[in-house]
Amino acid sequence: MPRSKDSWQPEIDELNQRRLMAEACGGAEAVARHHANGKLTVRERINGLADSGSFREVGKLAGKAQYDAAGKLTAFEPAPYVMGLARIAGRPVAIGGEDYTIRAGTGFGSDRRKGGQGGFIEDLAYEYRIPLVNLIDGTGGTVNTAKRKGYTVVPGYGQDGVERSVDLLGIVPVVSAVMGTTAGGPSMRAILAHWSIMVKGTGQIFAAGPPVVERAFGDKLTKEELGGTGVAVDTAGTIDNVAVSEEDCFAQIRRFLSYMPQNVWELPPQASCDDPVDRCEDALASIVPRSNRQAYNMKTLVSMIVDRESLFEIQPTFGRAIITALARMNGKVVGILASNPMVGGIMDVKAARKQGHFTELCDMFNIPIILFADIPGLMVGRESEAEAILREGVRARYIALQARVPMFSVIVRKCYGVAGGGFIDRGGLNFKIAWPSAEWGSLPVEGGVKAAYKREIEAAPDPAQREREIEAELKQLASPFRTAEAFAVEDVIDPRETRPYLCQFIDAMQGRLRSQLGPKLRAGVRP
Amino acid sequence: MARIEVKSEITGTVWQLKAKPGDKVEGGDILIVIESMKMEIPVITEDGGTVKEILVKEKDPVAEGQVVAIIEE
Repeated sequence: MPRSKDSWQPEIDELNQRRLMAEACGGAEAVARHHANGKLTVRERINGLADSGSFREVGKLAGKAQYDAAGKLTAFEPAPYVMGLARIAGRPVAIGGEDYTIRAGTGFGSDRRKGGQGGFIEDLAYEYRIPLVNLIDGTGGTVNTAKRKGYTVVPGYGQDGVERSVDLLGIVPVVSAVMGTTAGGPSMRAILAHWSIMVKGTGQIFAAGPPVVERAFGDKLTKEELGGTGVAVDTAGTIDNVAVSEEDCFAQIRRFLSYMPQNVWELPPQASCDDPVDRCEDALASIVPRSNRQAYNMKTLVSMIVDRESLFEIQPTFGRAIITALARMNGKVVGILASNPMVGGIMDVKAARKQGHFTELCDMFNIPIILFADIPGLMVGRESEAEAILREGVRARYIALQARVPMFSVIVRKCYGVAGGGFIDRGGLNFKIAWPSAEWGSLPVEGGVKAAYKREIEAAPDPAQREREIEAELKQLASPFRTAEAFAVEDVIDPRETRPYLCQFIDAMQGRLRSQLGPKLRAGVRP
Repeated sequence: MARIEVKSEITGTVWQLKAKPGDKVEGGDILIVIESMKMEIPVITEDGGTVKEILVKEKDPVAEGQVVAIIEE
C-alpha cells in the first residue's frame, strides 16, 4: 500500500523499534546469566503465569535512552520493572515485577514508579478493584540514588511510600512471589500481601543480606542460610508457601486466586461441583483413635469432608499445630482452620499467629470458616511464656471475635481452655457440632483433678485410688451426649454426616455473606 | 540405593519402637512412637523400603527435626 504523505508510519516504526528494545530486557548476555541461575526473565514469568496472550503491557517505553547529535535514538535501557493488565483464569489482574537483568531490578528514577512499592500497577489494582500480583526479584534501593538526586531521602518519602500497598490489603487480593534475592523495599512489598510464596533455591528474603550481617555480627552466612525457605517460610513464617520451581509458583498463584473474589465487594467465585454433597466417607467413623493420646491425620480427615481435590494449604510448614487451608464445599469457597494432632495440636505462638492471620484473610474476603477442633490448649512452659503465648493466643481469639464472617465449629476431639475457645464462634451464631469422640472443658480431667480436689485426695486413706475414682466420675459427666442434652452443644453427629450437614448450612449462609460485602472497618486495639 | 532419613516431627521422648533394622516397610508405616505432651505422636516413613537403622532407643529424648531412622529404598 503506498504511503500517504500524512502517514505517521515513521513514528509507528520507531515505536515498534522501541518496543523491541524493551523486550530485550538487560540484553542477551544478562538474560543468559539470569537463565543460567535457574531463573526466568520477568517477561517470561508474566507470560507463564497469565492466561496465554492476555498480557497488555503498560509503560513499555519507559527507560533511559541515548541519542546522537541528530537526535536519533542510539541506545536504550528499559526501566527495570515490567507491568500491565493480564487475565488469570479469565479474570483481570494487575501484574508486575522487577527486571533483575537490568541493574538487579533497582529503581530507575522516573517521575512516577511503574510498580514495586506503590506506582502505576498498585494504582491500577486499587482504582479498578482487581487483584495485584507482585513478581518480586529486586534488591531495593541503591546508594547511587543520592548521587543522581544530589541529596539523600528520608525513607518513606515521595515515591517510596507504601500507603497504597497498605490500602490494597483491605480492598483486593494481593499476592507476592519472591523469585530472587530480595531485601529492603521489595522485601517489604513481599510482606504486604494476603498470601506470599517463594521459589526454593532461587528465592531468599531478608531485612539485609549477608555482607551487612557479617559487618554487624561477624556471622558468615550464605543467602540461603540467612533467608532461604528454611528460615523465611518454615521457621519464621515471613513468607507463606514454598514453590519447588517457577512453574510450580505460577500454578500455586493461579490456585490461590481461584479461591479469591476480585475485591471485597464480590463473593469468591463459585466452582461447579461434581462431588456429591451427600458423600459420607465410612473411614470417618473410625479415623479418630479411641485413645485420646493417639494421633491421627487431620489433613486426611478434612480431605474426606471438603470437595475432592479442593484443599489448598496456606503456610503448610509453619506453625504446624494448626492447619490453615482454603477449600470448597459444594463448590463454595470455605476456610479451614484445623488442629493438627500429628504434632500434638497444642497452640504455640506460631500457630496462634497463623490462626489470627488466616481468620483475617477469610473475614476480609467473605470466606466462611470451618473449624475442626482437637486442641488440648495453649503451649505451657517457661519457653512458651517467654514467647508471649498468652498475648498471642488471646490475640488470635480477639481477631476471631472481631471477624464478621460466619464460622462453624466441628469438635472432633479435644476442645480445652483459652485456645479451645478460639475454635468457637462466639461473635456469631455460636454453632457447634460434635463428633462422639469430642471432649471439652476448662482443662483436661487428667490434669485438673489433682489441682481441684487436692485436699480430698490428700485426706483419703489411698490418695492415688481416690484420684482415679474422682477422675472416673468426672469422665462420665464428660460424655458429649450429656452436653447435648443440656443443649450446651448444638448437635452431636455421626462423623460420616459431616459433609452433607456442613454443605447444607454453607449453602444457606450465602445470602448472609452477600449482605456484608465491602471493606471491613475494625475498631479497638489488638492485645 | 537411595538412603532416606526419617525425622521426628516433634520434640519428646521415644515411647515405642515399631520397626527394627531389616524390616520391610511401606510409605505411611509407623516406625517409632514419640511421647510428647501426653500424646503419642507417630514417626511415619513417607517412602517404602528396608529399615537400615533405628537411631534411637526407648526413653531417649528426641528433638524436632532429629533423624531417628534410616530407610533404604
